[in-house]
Amino acid sequence: MQAQKVQQLFVRYKILALLIAVAIIWVFFHVKTDAAFITPGNLSNLFRQMAITGMLACGMVFVIIAGEIDLSIGSLLGLLGGVVAILTVNEGWGTWTAIGAVLVLGLLLGAFNGFVVTKMRVPSFIVGLGGMLAFRGIVLYITGSSTIAPAPDDLIALGQGFVPVELSRWIGGVIFVGMVALTVRRRMRRSKLGLQQAALWIDIARLVAIGAFIAGFIRMLNDANGIPIPVMILLGLLAVFTYVSTQTVFGRHIYAVGGNMEATRLSGVNVARVKLVVFALMGLMCAFAGIITVARTGSGSPSAGTGGELDAISACFIGGTSMRGGSGTVYGALIGALVMASLDSGMQLMDVDNSWQMIIKGVILVLAVWVDVLSGSNRNA
Amino acid sequence: MSDYLFEMRRIVKEFSGVRALDGIDLAVRPGECVGLCGENGAGKSTLMKVLSGVYPYGTWEGEILVEGKPLKAYSVRDSEDAGVVIIHQELMLVPQLSVAENIFLGNEIRRFGGLMDYDAMYAKAEALLARLKLKDVNVAAPVMNYGGGYQQLFEIAKALAKNARLLILDEPSSSLTSAETDTLLSIIEDLKREGVACVYISHKLDEVARVCDTVTVIRDGRHILTKPMSEMTTQSIITAMVGRDIENLFPKVEHDIGDVVFEARHVTCWDLANPNRKRVDDISFQVRRGEILGIAGLVGAGRTELVSAIFGAYPGRYEAELVLEGKPIKVRTPEQAIKAGLSLVPEDRKRQGIVPLLGVGDNITLATLSHYAHAGQIDRQAELQTVETEIRRLRVKTASPELPIVGLSGGNQQKAVLTKMLLPQPKLLILDEPTRGVDVGSKYDIYKLMFELAATGVAIIMVSSEMPEVLGVSDRVLVVGEGKLRGDFPSLGLTQEQVLAAAISHAAEGPAHAA
Repeated sequence: MQAQKVQQLFVRYKILALLIAVAIIWVFFHVKTDAAFITPGNLSNLFRQMAITGMLACGMVFVIIAGEIDLSIGSLLGLLGGVVAILTVNEGWGTWTAIGAVLVLGLLLGAFNGFVVTKMRVPSFIVGLGGMLAFRGIVLYITGSSTIAPAPDDLIALGQGFVPVELSRWIGGVIFVGMVALTVRRRMRRSKLGLQQAALWIDIARLVAIGAFIAGFIRMLNDANGIPIPVMILLGLLAVFTYVSTQTVFGRHIYAVGGNMEATRLSGVNVARVKLVVFALMGLMCAFAGIITVARTGSGSPSAGTGGELDAISACFIGGTSMRGGSGTVYGALIGALVMASLDSGMQLMDVDNSWQMIIKGVILVLAVWVDVLSGSNRNA
Repeated sequence: MSDYLFEMRRIVKEFSGVRALDGIDLAVRPGECVGLCGENGAGKSTLMKVLSGVYPYGTWEGEILVEGKPLKAYSVRDSEDAGVVIIHQELMLVPQLSVAENIFLGNEIRRFGGLMDYDAMYAKAEALLARLKLKDVNVAAPVMNYGGGYQQLFEIAKALAKNARLLILDEPSSSLTSAETDTLLSIIEDLKREGVACVYISHKLDEVARVCDTVTVIRDGRHILTKPMSEMTTQSIITAMVGRDIENLFPKVEHDIGDVVFEARHVTCWDLANPNRKRVDDISFQVRRGEILGIAGLVGAGRTELVSAIFGAYPGRYEAELVLEGKPIKVRTPEQAIKAGLSLVPEDRKRQGIVPLLGVGDNITLATLSHYAHAGQIDRQAELQTVETEIRRLRVKTASPELPIVGLSGGNQQKAVLTKMLLPQPKLLILDEPTRGVDVGSKYDIYKLMFELAATGVAIIMVSSEMPEVLGVSDRVLVVGEGKLRGDFPSLGLTQEQVLAAAISHAAEGPAHAA
């Protein structure tokens, strides 16, 4: 009876189970590495490492919810990173002009993938496989298979810099006040409409937890130079993508298309357009990730992003996205990315051999999805 | 009595307390063809699933005798070993495999080590096809190279390869042209002469009259009669098939009928798999403001294709000219249809109606989401207000509008889908089998809503296979048969016999009109 209740709680608040998993992983590594894991310096690195996978996962979670898949994103990341490096280093473009151009290019290439999937009706798995090869080929061609360096300083600052300590405190404060305001507004609306309310203590506990989390997060990262800029960008994207998925017509249509495409089409939704935009957003996220990759390493490497699609897809599935489409959350995917990054970072600290790292990550991915299947939350998907 | 090859005695089959079959008898002699007739849902398919072992021995009551000895079939394989082979309405061929591979699928001729003996299979397949007078078939070519008529005969060859002594044909002509049907019937006659027995299930009574020696009529799971075909006429079969009064469960409300609001001209749909065959053949009709137009016909007559073409949702090639409120409208997608003022509640709720994991409320607003949005952002308050009002109005039973719709009963799901398609405020509402799989209480609610809508001037088209529903709810009834308009009747004084006769009557007679 009690076990059943706990199970229900986890099904309802999947995020809770995921956070507990992260906590267990962290404590495990902390103990195993003689207290070297949960330190400001290491966690700052860890978050910076997960930023790129996280950006890809933001786009990928929409693609998977819509019932599709995109395997080309690792190569697309490499291509767009290569283009930003060539434009700034070889062509002498201004950093911001180049970034703008690459963001637009990413959007267009993503839309092209979407066009082939929706209008030419090639299955997205195949389009992704083709793109994986073709985009990688293009980046090898345009870079002449050599690394392009050095990236300009203002670009490098985007990857290696930090948000000023004072500013991050302000941002944290604003976010917290915003969350409180949203919760209050929702409670007022719901009571006005006579809708079911979450118990007051749950909302308060939620806010206290969020507040403590924000304060702890900022304080910890401020102990290590501040919040890395890529992490700040990722948090911004998390906010935007969560907003789109929960508050907009487009977001609702993504879930509907993935949940039952035929019913959605018969409800008058242009399902092809929804999918096209989802793929375009995926391309935009590849541009973000490609630019940050170049900025972090200070150079455009033709092999950048290899295997990135697998990390992003794993993150989505660990984060509870349904394989059959129709359900999933952006924050879930990001926590999935955090799980993968934590495993990477912890095993590196423990000096685990690379072969074992791959084996363990593979096993964890399958286990995580198995637990998700067991919990029955995807039964009706 | 043991001159019967197969005999079914007092077969009873229940589905969770509901008697689908209630003591049915059916007997077939060698070389005899028995026509099995009944309305949609009378229990024909259930009976054949009992006979062919789809429902294993023990899940039903009664007995099956083969040449006087009881048959206890626990699987399709068991009954096939006894010589009973069923050919389903939807053909069960693997399009990519060759004709011979299909004929021997699951029954392959092997050499040692599990190797396929292709030579033997090709030779035997050719012999079987020759028995069916098919000479120009390359048995090594994939089945998909051949049309529907050939494929039906391949199914028969497949059955003969299993040494079938009793062939069950379930609506075998439903996807055939009339020439192909003709060939099929003459082959059945040949097989009869060779001693193969048949059970022929069809709504097309002229076919039944041609090939069957005996007719068995069932209705509501009960055995009504078994007589030699020579003593029966098409009319007497229809009377036996219907034979019941309409229960008064239609809360009919008088409503005014206005001018013509919608007109469909020359709607024609071509079959997806068989591009020479028309599923809907040049149908034109009008609907008036506040009128409920029933579309009756047998399963597969082309009714669903007709309405989905009007709504821009037919998947294959189609043509249609539509006029709404005197102006021609262009509808090629459901999106355009809804914008123009048409709504469709589709036939298959699970596949086409609901998005299972989304909340009840999210499903209800799916077609009109942009009404509650400013610059793409959903105004949840406005959305929830509408949802709550609609849930109360239609009495959708759900603990919360946020729960996934998949947890609701069929009737409540259907009400939610109906609401979804009403929110765009259509001028013409099309309902395809609106009460299929819906409990009696919800049915009543849905009828009541239809009458309320008609009273406000909405034109309604209702496709239904339930004859009492068509007669009880409609103001006027169109009858569709084999893709053609077979009749246009005012519902006042219309009987089930008249509708069924129009649906079954042969194409040559042209549309019937009530006097």
